[in-house]
Amino acid sequence: MTPRRTNRPLTLACLTGSLFLSLAGAAVAAAPSKVVGTVAAVVNDVQIRLVGAVRPRPAAVRQRLALGEQVQTGRGSSMQAMLLDRSAFTVGPNSRLTIDRFVYDPAGSSMSASLAKGAMRFMSSGRKGAGERSISTPVASLGIRGTIVDAVVGEEAIAIARGERGLGANVGGDPTSASLIVLRGPGPRARGDVDPGAVSVEAAGRTVELERPMQAAYVPQAGAAPIGPFAISLPGLARINDLILPPTESRTSDAGPDPYLQRGDNRPRLRPVLPGELPQDGGRPDFVNPGDVPIFTPRESDYPDQGPPPPGNPGAGSAPPPNNPGAGSPGSNYPGGAP
Amino acid sequence: MDRPTIIAPLLILALAGAPVSASAQTAQALDALTRPTAQPATGMDLARRQIAEGQLTQALATLERVILTHPNADEARLLHAGLLCRLDDRPGSVVEFDRLRGRDFPPELWREATEPCQAPRTGD
Repeated sequence: MTPRRTNRPLTLACLTGSLFLSLAGAAVAAAPSKVVGTVAAVVNDVQIRLVGAVRPRPAAVRQRLALGEQVQTGRGSSMQAMLLDRSAFTVGPNSRLTIDRFVYDPAGSSMSASLAKGAMRFMSSGRKGAGERSISTPVASLGIRGTIVDAVVGEEAIAIARGERGLGANVGGDPTSASLIVLRGPGPRARGDVDPGAVSVEAAGRTVELERPMQAAYVPQAGAAPIGPFAISLPGLARINDLILPPTESRTSDAGPDPYLQRGDNRPRLRPVLPGELPQDGGRPDFVNPGDVPIFTPRESDYPDQGPPPPGNPGAGSAPPPNNPGAGSPGSNYPGGAP
Repeated sequence: MDRPTIIAPLLILALAGAPVSASAQTAQALDALTRPTAQPATGMDLARRQIAEGQLTQALATLERVILTHPNADEARLLHAGLLCRLDDRPGSVVEFDRLRGRDFPPELWREATEPCQAPRTGD
């Protein structure tokens, strides 16, 4: 009988190694998914569905946000998520957002996220060219270069688009996927440690570049190319703002009617004088009450950089919408072109 | 047990643990940015510091946290409107200043918010 040959040190090493690997594997399995940021603000009903979970759970401020977790806000609810690189998403009501990919790098993180519905504002922390950042909607892909961008998906996108002269009242869209994207800044004259922002909006094989603040693109449904760039109107911008940040409730009665609250009609009515248009002697503006911003009728010359939409825009050049009696009249500074 | 037998598994554990620790530290730094925004005054102070350091988009996010949780914090809204001017988002600032029409703000706060909007709009 041949004696069994054993290599006790080797066996011991294998067993020890296996034990360590098992423990390490268990630790990794028990650990949460990769943390990409934190929940920075929660208002009312905000739910987070963990990866693999069937039911979402209520979100809490300073809760860690992991890769692939789905953030969903309810009616009258909103939240802000801050990523490890200090980029931030402010998410409005009835929205659904997921961070799909995130590679943290202090020199320039890479990130991709998806907005399935609702409205959000993304504020990039990095400078232009630092890391790849993209956001997808159901019908468009946004390539982001050091910027602040607003996106609206769904019925509200259609409603805002219909009020834009650059698109026309007859513009349609899929109420579950229509996407409106607006570049907010920074503009070329921004101060501080920022570069001018830009966004590429790609859909159906066509790309539209947004390179100036207030330039917008609209994708009505899957398979449609982006319409734009066109300049979003002030009322359209106000409506997007209201979708992302809650309107103030303390509006005083002597402030007059809110010029932006008439839904479905983005005509300009009154426009405040920009503080930059006031005396520039460094002193206090010449109106007595600081909050009492004077108003005047807009002029086209206020927006020299934002002319009418370019030819070839499917929504441009159509007859003025019937609910826009001011369309075509001279002397307006409606940012979407002279209404 | 010889030395390689022990070192290899320990190395695996160390490598597994390192990234978690780094992200945890960064997440804690985010918490430090989140806490002040629980109150408008401390949130505005944080935003002012970020503006002074040139971190404009972070300051914008800070003020939006304040506005989300305190919709009637009009002074934070005023600072937000002025910050949009710094970011060269003038139409955005127009909309926000307009929404604040009729409010009575301390003159020094008004001056702070509107100073960034004083730059010439054309020909600069």
